[in-house]
Amino acid sequence: MRKTLSYVLVTAGALVMLVPFVAALSNSLKSFAQYIQVPPTWIPDPVQWDNYAEVWRRTPFGLYLTNSIVIAVLAVVGNVLTSAMVGHALARMRLPGKQALLTMALGTMMLPTVITIVPNFLLFRSLGWLDTLAPLIVPYWLATPIGIFLMRQTFLGIPKDFEEAASLDGANPWQVFWRIHLPLAKPALATLAVFTFTTSWKAVLEPTIYLTSPENYTLPVGVLSLKGQFVGNDQLVTAAAMMSLLPMLVVFVLAQRYFVRGTMSAGLKG
Amino acid sequence: MTVLTRRAGKAAAEQRPPAPKRHSGERIWAFAFASPYLLHLVALAAWPLLASLFFSMTDYDLVSEPRFVGFGNFTRMFGDDVFWRTLGNTAYFAVLFVPTQTALALGLAIALNQRLRGMALFRAAYFVPVVSSWVVVAYVADAVFNPQTGLANQVLDFFGLPAENWLQDPALVIPTLAAVAVWKGVGYMMVLFLAGLQAIPEERYEAAKIDGASAWNRFRYITLPGISGTTFLVLVLTSIETLQSFEQVFVMTDGGPHGASELTVLHLYRQGFQFFQMGYASAIAWVLFVLVLALTLVQFRLQRRWVHYA
Repeated sequence: MRKTLSYVLVTAGALVMLVPFVAALSNSLKSFAQYIQVPPTWIPDPVQWDNYAEVWRRTPFGLYLTNSIVIAVLAVVGNVLTSAMVGHALARMRLPGKQALLTMALGTMMLPTVITIVPNFLLFRSLGWLDTLAPLIVPYWLATPIGIFLMRQTFLGIPKDFEEAASLDGANPWQVFWRIHLPLAKPALATLAVFTFTTSWKAVLEPTIYLTSPENYTLPVGVLSLKGQFVGNDQLVTAAAMMSLLPMLVVFVLAQRYFVRGTMSAGLKG
Repeated sequence: MTVLTRRAGKAAAEQRPPAPKRHSGERIWAFAFASPYLLHLVALAAWPLLASLFFSMTDYDLVSEPRFVGFGNFTRMFGDDVFWRTLGNTAYFAVLFVPTQTALALGLAIALNQRLRGMALFRAAYFVPVVSSWVVVAYVADAVFNPQTGLANQVLDFFGLPAENWLQDPALVIPTLAAVAVWKGVGYMMVLFLAGLQAIPEERYEAAKIDGASAWNRFRYITLPGISGTTFLVLVLTSIETLQSFEQVFVMTDGGPHGASELTVLHLYRQGFQFFQMGYASAIAWVLFVLVLALTLVQFRLQRRWVHYA
């Protein structure tokens, strides 16, 4: 009885989640006449697959995609590497002021982004980084508080024996970190990687502020800019939006368990 | 977050090694490992905090040098009708969004917290909007809330109800935005609640059943206190986020119609990056910052009354 009720509730919810995506997908395959037709048709007739090709023909979609991928990949590499390093220092090394650093990491986690918008813009402007991809990548190379907490927690859980054996063999701290601890932390690294990828891929505010030339646009900003360019061709913008989701969906499907695990560990941390 | 610090402290205490003989340069190594974050603290935490405080007391248009104006920006803000309206809009949005999302996420988590066939698939369905950018969501939402061609009016029509203008109706725009935000965010919060539910020991329920407690009483006296910590976290996280909500309105309505959905951070963005009044934008940022801080502190104080840590 209770199970049936849960099934009904959960299925209804899942439909509410997915049906809008299907409707948007359908919109992206219509002709403009059908896109604005009242009452709407559910299944486009004919199915205009060409809308997707049209986006590629008429916009620098490939550039937006490349920019988004370059930024996301470099952000992931940077954040995973540096957060692991800092987490390792906090968990396994004798660092003066360790406790203070941990408290400050907690504080910066609570720091609202709104306070950083203007000063960061001015900082990157004085570095000559405006309208480059750097402001969207470099901050990830300075470790993120969430990443630090996740990695510190992981490294705390690794037994000391390995490290002691390696130290006796003359390994320096970097070798201990790189060859022994990092491979043991793979699940946490994967979790951090998918979270960083998602955050970077979804971002709208930062690329809007920092990027001005269309050839530097990321997918969200690029798709948004099509809105003004394709007035009277909304089905094309919808097609572009659907395409911008695709790489994210692939990552999500491949790494689903890491998404769930990451969210859960964020919850347990509080 | 007190728990976090406490746990972190405990973990650090356990961690403190019995000081075996170590590499002589270990401190330098540790410092090198921590250096990315030290730079982060300087460039991405201390600098923005101090700089925005400084700029909030200046007139700065990015071209000429910043000019000190004392509290001028703040007095201007108090007389700025748009600022007050955006603050009201933000509060209205938060009041609709935060409780709805929290309650729905909890309900779904309870429904999913049993051995259901295909549970992973359901969880995935709820997560798809979470990983989508607001730009994608804007077009998905258009398929639903477009007044002429959207699903929502089709459904209303099916039940014989009159069509609505949703995002184009000044009275409906914020409730519609809140509904879309719940739709997008509920999956993430649901997983947080699932983690909280799974941390409640099964024996408590067994014992209560033996004592003849009803399903409602088990929910009221075991589940609710058991997940109060998670609920607290969810409430703090979402209210911090909601006060800073920007991307959704920027992409979906641009504050319209007639400023009915202009939220405070959108106002800040326009002042700073469209009118290049960096000083005024920084002042707005500081007021919001203080509001976020105050709200968080109030929540931390109130938590003593209702949050139980097992």
